[in-house]
Amino acid sequence: MTRYLARRIGFALFLVIAVSSASLVLARLAPGDFVTDTAGIRRQTLEQERARYGLDKSVGAQYLDWLAAVARLDFGYSLQYGRPVRDLIPERAANTAVLACTALAFATLVGLPLGVVTGSRRGGTLPDAIRAVSLLLLSMPPLLTSLFLVFVAARTGWLPMSGMHSATVPAGGALVDLLRHLVVPAAAIGLPLAAMLERLQAQAMSEAVKEPFVIAALARGVPRSRIVWRGALKAALRPIAAVYGLVIGTLLSGSFVVEVITAWPGLGSLMLQALRTRDVFLVAGCAGVGALFLALGTLVSDLALAALDPRARESQAERG
Amino acid sequence: MAVLCTFAATGCRSNRPTADGVPSGGVPRGGELLASVRSEPRSFNRHASRDTTTNLLSNLTQAKLVRINPTTQALEPWLADGWTTADGGRRVTIALKHDVVYSDGHPFTSDDVLFAFEAAYDEQGGSALADSVEAGGKKLQVTATDAHTVVITFPAPFAPGIRILDNLPILPRHKLGGALKAGGIAKAWGLDTPVSEIVGLGPFVMLEYVPGQRVVFARNPRYFGKAPGGGSLPYLDRIVVEIIPDQSAELLRLESGQLDMMTSEIAPEAYAPLKRAADEGRVKLLDLGVSRNADGLWFNLRPGALGQDTRAAWLQRDELRRAISMAVDRKLFADTVFFGAGVPVYGPETPANKIWYWPGLPQTAHDPAAAMQLLASIGLADRDGDGLLEDAQNRPARFTLLTQKGRPNLERGAAVIRDELKKIGLTVDVVALDARAVIDQFLHARYEAIYFNADKTDLDPGTNPDFWFSSGSAHMWNLEEKSPATAWERRIDELMTKQIASADDAERKALYNQVQQIFFEHQPIVYFVAPRIYVAHAVRVTNLTPAEFRPQLLWRPDTVAVGR
Repeated sequence: MTRYLARRIGFALFLVIAVSSASLVLARLAPGDFVTDTAGIRRQTLEQERARYGLDKSVGAQYLDWLAAVARLDFGYSLQYGRPVRDLIPERAANTAVLACTALAFATLVGLPLGVVTGSRRGGTLPDAIRAVSLLLLSMPPLLTSLFLVFVAARTGWLPMSGMHSATVPAGGALVDLLRHLVVPAAAIGLPLAAMLERLQAQAMSEAVKEPFVIAALARGVPRSRIVWRGALKAALRPIAAVYGLVIGTLLSGSFVVEVITAWPGLGSLMLQALRTRDVFLVAGCAGVGALFLALGTLVSDLALAALDPRARESQAERG
Repeated sequence: MAVLCTFAATGCRSNRPTADGVPSGGVPRGGELLASVRSEPRSFNRHASRDTTTNLLSNLTQAKLVRINPTTQALEPWLADGWTTADGGRRVTIALKHDVVYSDGHPFTSDDVLFAFEAAYDEQGGSALADSVEAGGKKLQVTATDAHTVVITFPAPFAPGIRILDNLPILPRHKLGGALKAGGIAKAWGLDTPVSEIVGLGPFVMLEYVPGQRVVFARNPRYFGKAPGGGSLPYLDRIVVEIIPDQSAELLRLESGQLDMMTSEIAPEAYAPLKRAADEGRVKLLDLGVSRNADGLWFNLRPGALGQDTRAAWLQRDELRRAISMAVDRKLFADTVFFGAGVPVYGPETPANKIWYWPGLPQTAHDPAAAMQLLASIGLADRDGDGLLEDAQNRPARFTLLTQKGRPNLERGAAVIRDELKKIGLTVDVVALDARAVIDQFLHARYEAIYFNADKTDLDPGTNPDFWFSSGSAHMWNLEEKSPATAWERRIDELMTKQIASADDAERKALYNQVQQIFFEHQPIVYFVAPRIYVAHAVRVTNLTPAEFRPQLLWRPDTVAVGR
């Protein structure tokens, strides 16, 4: 197991370096750079600006400088913010984590129980209604879900539509203000996610209730609800565990669309801003952190699966 | 002959009811205004960047000697108390206001004015403002005779005179002198600078900057501006500028009362929902008239830019551009791109430029048949009967048109051009790239044609030498020519040299009309339609002086107010 973990962590580090390197080089090779934001500036001024930001070096030289700095855990300076990338990213990653954890908690608390309900019953109005709503939410692209929720917030005036905090802390305090701001973006991410978990859980549950141990327990007179919520649920969690880590990794990498539409100052919007402004070191940093979260998510997924399924544990031990 | 122009700053401000009908005497004080921008600032320092958000921040926190009133196009004193001109306008003596202090209490003197010019002209510093405070490509000579008087000497007669000082914020030497000495004025006051370090003479001070979220400004209690009744300015206590990257979210916030104003005009597609909101009394929608700028199409006219490509024989010909101008139905263009809210444009000025627009300029009629005849005259004909034109080498008459991705006006406009040109047999491949990529291709002359915004910085053509002169950095179709590539560009250079030097307004107008005529004949940029500019704001915002260009509602932030 230790060897397995060491190998996975090694792979994660390789992934981070490879993804950030590729991002830096691609952002640098793309037409335009940080200083070409306005037409009509003198060539001489542009050259001075390029020299000021170190953009006058060749891509190779800049990449090697960056790589040498990364070895010292210096990920460079953001051209736009004039701050070290390693200071900027944790701030934004924390904001994304707040959003991602809220959305994930919501999706888990809503999606899993509903999946158990729909998967453990053969038919009925409630399971059919849940299934229909799930399919609707799953078929809506995140852009539409976000815009719809922002529209509802705008029309009703119940909730703030964008941002993470109000400019002035309202009467309820900063925490209440944060929670109010969280509702729209967390719902935009959480609703389709809840629908996905519901569908996965329902599928797994419908198979689990046909397992011999469930039928045997029912024959022994164990109450159905107890079998479903204890025995069958544990067996049906395997597919959820397999995707859960990936979902965490994806969410922590930042949800571009939702963060941009709701002006949530997270990693996704930072990455988009960095790409737009060709802030090459920041692009590399954001991409690297995204890759790290994905790698860690996959690892968490595998570990969770191993915890739930002895067969997976044995397979990992053999590979380790 | 010396001409005396002395204005009291307050005397120049209007006492008449403002655009929204609120008399100045009854302007409410205090309160917070919530505005929005779509992108982060690049710096807190105008010398570092010319982007619109940095410009807005500078407009709120810094002051200038003079400012151009965009509603009247007149020059108004700001930090200047008045000025006298001598030597045919070449020497201007500016008296500065007394008892003006920076937001940190440090007194403002003529030394700060000298510093502002030193910062702009410092060759090591790389100021983005350098060329905008030059006259005919040459630096002004600036001296101080005492703590409150500066003398500006122009290197040659320069008709726009001190209008160009509207480009130059006066920054504090006591804060930035070190940066200038170190050769890094453009590096100073980056986004990592604590906001308490940003000191200015403007109506507001920066209170907080939260990256990705907002910039908060508080009233500068030391601001020198006075209200018409003698009271202090600004009226507002705070301005919060939210960073909202998505325009749909920005509009919804405005409609729902979670935003007081956007700092730019509304997109044509947003007009209908905002009109409904205005009819319901939720917002005020203002029609500011025709834009002074129109998006334009130009070809790469740099000799040899297309290498061995034989298409250069027709791609760089005047006849092609004139044919395009004839082939595009401007009415259809206005209806499709701006949903009807636009006026046809045939030359470099739009009717918004009341002084320099020439109504006598010929108007190109929509005439596809004549366009095809013109194309035939440069060897483009349908040789294989497929309805599309080929050149003399039997190669398809086809070119690539770059435009900016994510700007619906530009993308729709490029699509209309493509469709209209197809009707006369020209094939256009529209390629939409992000703004930086388009600008990069443009700066390196790696393009065939571009449809983009070619905005001029001021209404007076004399302040746009970078656009007009063949050596200019904004001479879009052929940047920074060493010598004029064509006889007509040489003629424009000559006319503009005279135009800029003339002190006679009528002569300047006549010379500029000639320039517009030459421009029309050769169409280095083909303009189609100038949009109408609409802005919207919350009903509680009052005492506005809306202007046609950005920031339309906040160009004079000290007098904006909000109702209770």
